[in-house]
Amino acid sequence: MEIRVGETYFQRLIIFYIPLFMFLVAMLFPFYWMLITSIKPDAELYNVRSIPFLVKEPTLEHWKFLFQETLFGRWALNTLWIATATTVVSLICGVCAAYALSRLRFFGSTTIGVSIFVTYLVPPTLLFIPLSQVIANFPLFNLYDTPWSLILTYPTLLVPFSTWLLMGYFKTIPKELEECARIDGASRIQAMIRIVLPLAAPGILSAAIFSFTLAWNEFLYALVFLSSPLQKTIPVGVVSELIKGDVFFWGALMAGALFGSVPVAIVYSFFVEHYVSGIAGAVKG
Amino acid sequence: MNPTSTTTPNVSELDLDAMKPRVPWLEREGVLGYLLLAPALILIVIFMAYPFGLGIWFSFTDKLVGDPGKFVGLDNFLKNFRSQIFWQSAWNTLFFTAMATIFKTILGMWLAVILNRKFKFSRFTRAAILLPFIVPTVLSTLAWLWMFDATFSVFNWILNWFWKLDISIFDLVIKAPYRGRLRINWLGDPGWAMFSIILVNVWRGVPFFAITFLAGLQTVPQDMYDAGAIDGANGWQRFWNITLPMIKPIAVVVVVFSIVVTFADFQLVYVLTRGGPHNSTHLFATLAFQVSMQSGNLGEGASIALFMLPFLAVLILWQLLYLRKEESA
Amino acid sequence: MDKQTETTKVAWQPGMSRREFIKTTSGLAVAAGAGWGMFGQAPAFAQERELHILEWSSFVKPADVETDRQAAEFGKQEGIKVRVEHINANDLNARATAAVESGAGPDLIRLLGNQPHVYAKGLIDHGDLIQEVGGETIWPSLRDGVNVNGVYRGVPYFFGGGAYVYRRDLFDEAKVGPPQTWDQFMDVGKKVKDLGYPIGQSLGHSFGDPPGFCYTLLWSFGGSLIDKNAKVSIDSQATRDSIKYLAEFWKSACDESGLAWDDTSNNRAFLGETISCTLNGASIYFVAKQNWEKKQDPFVKQLDHFLSPEGPAGRFHTISGQNSCIMTHSKVQSAAKNYIRFIHKEENFEKFFVINNGYIIGVVPKWREHDLWSRDPALTPYRDLGTYGQHIGYPGPYDRRSQEVFAKYIIVDLYARAVKGESPDSVIKWAESELKNIYS
Repeated sequence: MEIRVGETYFQRLIIFYIPLFMFLVAMLFPFYWMLITSIKPDAELYNVRSIPFLVKEPTLEHWKFLFQETLFGRWALNTLWIATATTVVSLICGVCAAYALSRLRFFGSTTIGVSIFVTYLVPPTLLFIPLSQVIANFPLFNLYDTPWSLILTYPTLLVPFSTWLLMGYFKTIPKELEECARIDGASRIQAMIRIVLPLAAPGILSAAIFSFTLAWNEFLYALVFLSSPLQKTIPVGVVSELIKGDVFFWGALMAGALFGSVPVAIVYSFFVEHYVSGIAGAVKG
Repeated sequence: MNPTSTTTPNVSELDLDAMKPRVPWLEREGVLGYLLLAPALILIVIFMAYPFGLGIWFSFTDKLVGDPGKFVGLDNFLKNFRSQIFWQSAWNTLFFTAMATIFKTILGMWLAVILNRKFKFSRFTRAAILLPFIVPTVLSTLAWLWMFDATFSVFNWILNWFWKLDISIFDLVIKAPYRGRLRINWLGDPGWAMFSIILVNVWRGVPFFAITFLAGLQTVPQDMYDAGAIDGANGWQRFWNITLPMIKPIAVVVVVFSIVVTFADFQLVYVLTRGGPHNSTHLFATLAFQVSMQSGNLGEGASIALFMLPFLAVLILWQLLYLRKEESA
Repeated sequence: MDKQTETTKVAWQPGMSRREFIKTTSGLAVAAGAGWGMFGQAPAFAQERELHILEWSSFVKPADVETDRQAAEFGKQEGIKVRVEHINANDLNARATAAVESGAGPDLIRLLGNQPHVYAKGLIDHGDLIQEVGGETIWPSLRDGVNVNGVYRGVPYFFGGGAYVYRRDLFDEAKVGPPQTWDQFMDVGKKVKDLGYPIGQSLGHSFGDPPGFCYTLLWSFGGSLIDKNAKVSIDSQATRDSIKYLAEFWKSACDESGLAWDDTSNNRAFLGETISCTLNGASIYFVAKQNWEKKQDPFVKQLDHFLSPEGPAGRFHTISGQNSCIMTHSKVQSAAKNYIRFIHKEENFEKFFVINNGYIIGVVPKWREHDLWSRDPALTPYRDLGTYGQHIGYPGPYDRRSQEVFAKYIIVDLYARAVKGESPDSVIKWAESELKNIYS
């Protein structure tokens, strides 16, 4: 426990413990709520007189329903595949673009750099109809209803921010290192791969985490470009299959929400330190 | 000239061009630059620039579903300007974005300052704090929908229980102020509905702000704080004069990025209120979607969605200029 | 000399890195192909014939099961794979728009109301099927929904509307009976609200109950949004009368949180016993009946229905149909047509009709004589929806503009704002300008 210069216990209580506790409650209460709802039997859920926070007879029926009666398992795999592939594509594009824009001088680099940033201004609600034309009429392969329709379109939403992040990080790596390597006979590309990238690993990791999260989360494009239940992602599948007419399968919905977030959070907890230092590096630059 | 002579050759007779080392084309900055940019550019041109151009074209036509539509100039925009619903959405979007961003910045900063210490379980805490950001937006919004439900809202239940409590302190009983049934219409009253969507957006966004600010805070060396403390500055003064200036660059970027994303927010309102009650929570994005999808008027929908751009462009321009100034400083 | 050797060394590197570059990209390409093959869709020529049907998720769950069953049976008969996809009704529009715009997607979409007008450019001519299903005998409001400039762009499958479900026990306790006119309804409402069980009416932004209520209120007082020549006619004494009525009705008889309700909230409120009466399709009754069959919950025995009250201009209901519409891009159009013929065959439709238990009604008048209505007297009022039913464009045309008015919830907001205290003049002026913007 870190103690600051000249700080009493009482001060710590007011400045640290209590506010931290309040934030944790505020951030996590909805998850507690999701947990409770996912194990509460329907009879208690729709009873106006029951106490919302407690469960009298916890049940696993919603979880069973989620995994047995719906294609949730399949959707989870789809979302995982799409998010991972999207992250890889975005990283490749972002790393290359950031390297080019921050280390190389060539005609038009500023203009192109600016126009890449500007693309995140364009709202998806404007794009999704023209984009559906592009997806369906893509030469050679019909991308409609395949994961590729998302894997190729999500990067357009992710590359601008990733590029900015990585540019900041690359700028902190001294050019001398690369020049030494090139004097020793390495090509630019080899220098990039062998020297710059390893040093920029935290920044790359941050960009990866950011891309993965946004791809995991996205709804509108997934709704429009995917149609068969086998292809759907978690957000779209859950909303379309677990809300039937006027019946919200709240128990299963909340179970899906929990499953779609807690495992990812656990994985993140191992990388959060790197994510933080990644952004720190970008800032220093 | 004698070839075996050891005198220095006459420079003017040398073929300098042939002697210049040939730089392989992959080494040239000009070529490599474009090559590396190619993947990003190709994707962006096909899946962003081209549809964007199409979208702009739509906004100047009377395009309906399945119908290519013909050019009508500024008709769609004029129709929007005459519509009260449109101006209401404009105001809603501005208000929503402004309020949400202010709160996210303040709360995010506060949380970052709190987390900027070493303590037990810090890793767990940071991951837990990130949860609202990670969970798919649609799903967490549905959870909030259930928490706000007109009949079953858990918040109303809490308020009811609390409000009806008689509190007794040292034999002095303070009677509960409200005996009837207290029900806040979270999503049915225009004022409360706007409050609710801002609340959910802030809840979702604070983690991102906090973690990013935290990263910025960690670049501030502790010695600066200690120096400040020795000089007699209290906590607040240290924050204002040391911390803030150091993290300004990253703060600017994060705030602007968040404004852009919040301005175009769609999922949240779509799930919670669909723009109601009577258009008091309609944003540009949800109005554009409703007009395009339900009346099939794609031209008008595109013109509404496009309207977001001037605002955002001004913002981005300012950000770029500001960063350029900071870099040269 | 050293410099020369170095240059020679450098000259060789790009060759190697080029090879590496090619190696990596081809590796990626192979991975892409593998991934695509594993998870993506097989190329078109390798797919078997499939009929893809897109429709809503019904409020009556067993109806979806029956639809799927019938589709599978048809598929076996016809020798084609049939896939029925159920999605949230609110998302149908987005999918239909994307399908028409991109020329790819479902073969048959079950479009609501008069949406065939909106998507007409992407739908085929269903004239022959219309004749087979009933032609001129189909309720006119429903026919107008698919008749786009003389061409039939879909085939009405069924229609639905709302009637008022109420608790007989609570009404008895308040010493009132089902009302016939709006004035009587006001009286009934006051008494049940005093008892603690108000009327529940949704005035939120959802496509079922709120417009269902608002349009019928306006029509029964003699008002309308547009006249039969599509001229805006909202500014009338009849409109003001209806607003005055509703403002008082809302405060004295209704659950005032209804402004936030969507189509499901009144179901939950009624089943949660916080309200005594609400306008609804027969889904509440259906759930109650299921609870009786599953758990012997006697709640259902207290339920009954009454029709929309009569106003000075008569009795009205808002009805809208669900239409089977075949897309022009479909590659299995003849199979789709046979599917429509199949589901309209009397024995098949009867099964579907009975399972829905009054929630939906057949599109030709002869379904009024089915004994379902007499078997369960509580459902009888729904039988007459066709007689009193009008579409949302009434008395004007049922075209794209009426759909835009509907989509913008102009009439719902008109009443919602009036109920919140805005003056009738200001609210009518607003509605008029919005309407003129659309109908100009």
